[in-house]
Amino acid sequence: MSFPRPLRRLLWPLLAAGFFLTSAAAAADAPVSFTDDEKALILSHGPWPVKTGPDPSNRVSGDAAAIAYGKALFESPDLAIDRGRSCATCHVPELGHGDGKPLGVGRVRVDRNTMPLFNLRLNTWYGWDGKSDNLWAQSIAPILDPRELGMTPEELRPRIAETPALASPYRDIFGADVTDHDAETAMVNIAKALAAYQETLTSGRSAFDRFRDALAADDAAEIASYQAAAQRGAKLFVGRGRCDLCHFGANFTNGEFHDIGLPHFPEQGRVDKGRYGGILVLRRSRYNLLGPFNDDAGRTTAGFTRHVRLTQRNWGEFRVPSLRNVARTAPYMHDGSKATLEDVVRHYSDIPEERLHQDGEKLLRPLNLTDGEIADLVAFLRTL
Amino acid sequence: MRKLPLAAAAFVLAGTAPALAEHCPKDMLAAMENRLSADGTAVAYKTDPAKIAVGKPFSIEVVACVDAGMPMHGHGMNYTPSEKKLGPGHSKFDGMVFHMPGAWQITFDVYEGDKRRRLTEKVKIGR
Repeated sequence: MSFPRPLRRLLWPLLAAGFFLTSAAAAADAPVSFTDDEKALILSHGPWPVKTGPDPSNRVSGDAAAIAYGKALFESPDLAIDRGRSCATCHVPELGHGDGKPLGVGRVRVDRNTMPLFNLRLNTWYGWDGKSDNLWAQSIAPILDPRELGMTPEELRPRIAETPALASPYRDIFGADVTDHDAETAMVNIAKALAAYQETLTSGRSAFDRFRDALAADDAAEIASYQAAAQRGAKLFVGRGRCDLCHFGANFTNGEFHDIGLPHFPEQGRVDKGRYGGILVLRRSRYNLLGPFNDDAGRTTAGFTRHVRLTQRNWGEFRVPSLRNVARTAPYMHDGSKATLEDVVRHYSDIPEERLHQDGEKLLRPLNLTDGEIADLVAFLRTL
Repeated sequence: MRKLPLAAAAFVLAGTAPALAEHCPKDMLAAMENRLSADGTAVAYKTDPAKIAVGKPFSIEVVACVDAGMPMHGHGMNYTPSEKKLGPGHSKFDGMVFHMPGAWQITFDVYEGDKRRRLTEKVKIGR
């Protein structure tokens, strides 16, 4: 077959471009190989799920009746001063138990993104600033916060007492009518039931977990079924990206606090103290693990609270979130400023070094990722 | 390594080791897995559990004051260990947490009066 000369001139570049695209596509789908070090690092993100036991600081943790009661409380508008909302208004199951908004909105807008509620038994600290060292204390915070449910202990107790569906289980679980307990004790008991329920919200096994276990078992067929882009993303995650230094272990978080160069001024003239403020609140709280409401007489889980260190470096630090189910929990960061996972990865690619504390994390440097590498990391994150 | 906060360095000053060499029993040194020495000062320690895991609390039994940090990352621990005296020149420090994998450095400051001797041990954790 021959083509007229003008057409031939056009055809060669087209054929060359076609060859290039085919080669690029083949490279994109080429099998990914891992070094022994990379393999070990990827395996360190499992196995999943992690076994957990009841929370010793909460005597109703793991109790079936308390879990059911906690769910009813979680969904009840009776915990809000104006009956206008419940915990489930902001922690929507279909949205990863977040709200899908950049900043949470209770009775008014708050300063931070609503955190998802998954795998909470694995936490050491709760909230973006770690102001709580246990889940029942963290559950008290939105009940009392005037911007959220706006309740007081004194108003909460009669509200429970006058609602038969909430009063009766309280009596069964805590051994007395709610009116027989002082208002503060009743509120803490309510929070412990809420915690018992939230502890049951766990993320299941993911595509990454199947890949990770296949890697451990050298199951080539199962490894190959994990998309190549996600495999390349995994290599970056534990390699040049060093994401796993903070997003460590099976829950993809070290549970601690870091400054990643985001603004911490919710509005002009007002600063979000981050971890610094969180430690101050923690230390003066009656509901921390060193306080009188811890059901564990030996204070066996209070070591972190006893030893936590307050430094100037804590300004602007926020908790490293778990990446489990991360595709379901947009938008991202403590201020909800990143709408998509691609935005998050681009932040680390172009991180503004001048924004980081001088005495802060020296680990963070711009990763200078290509568009393809960003897409690979996002593909990996989507499988968690 | 970043200079340690004075409080962290000083909290052992009062009690543990005004004269470490004098008080430090040799059998105690021999019983511990890790020993450091420099300029005539000896420190021995062991951790519980023996294998340190990222993000998990551990104790360190030692004869001097202890702190730790990640020199390459420019930060110390997020926790201040507390000292429990087990005997003359012999203490246990609870509340140590290495919150990231990587190269950590444990710092032992041994005081005799105002004079400080610093011994360091590099430890690689979890990565």
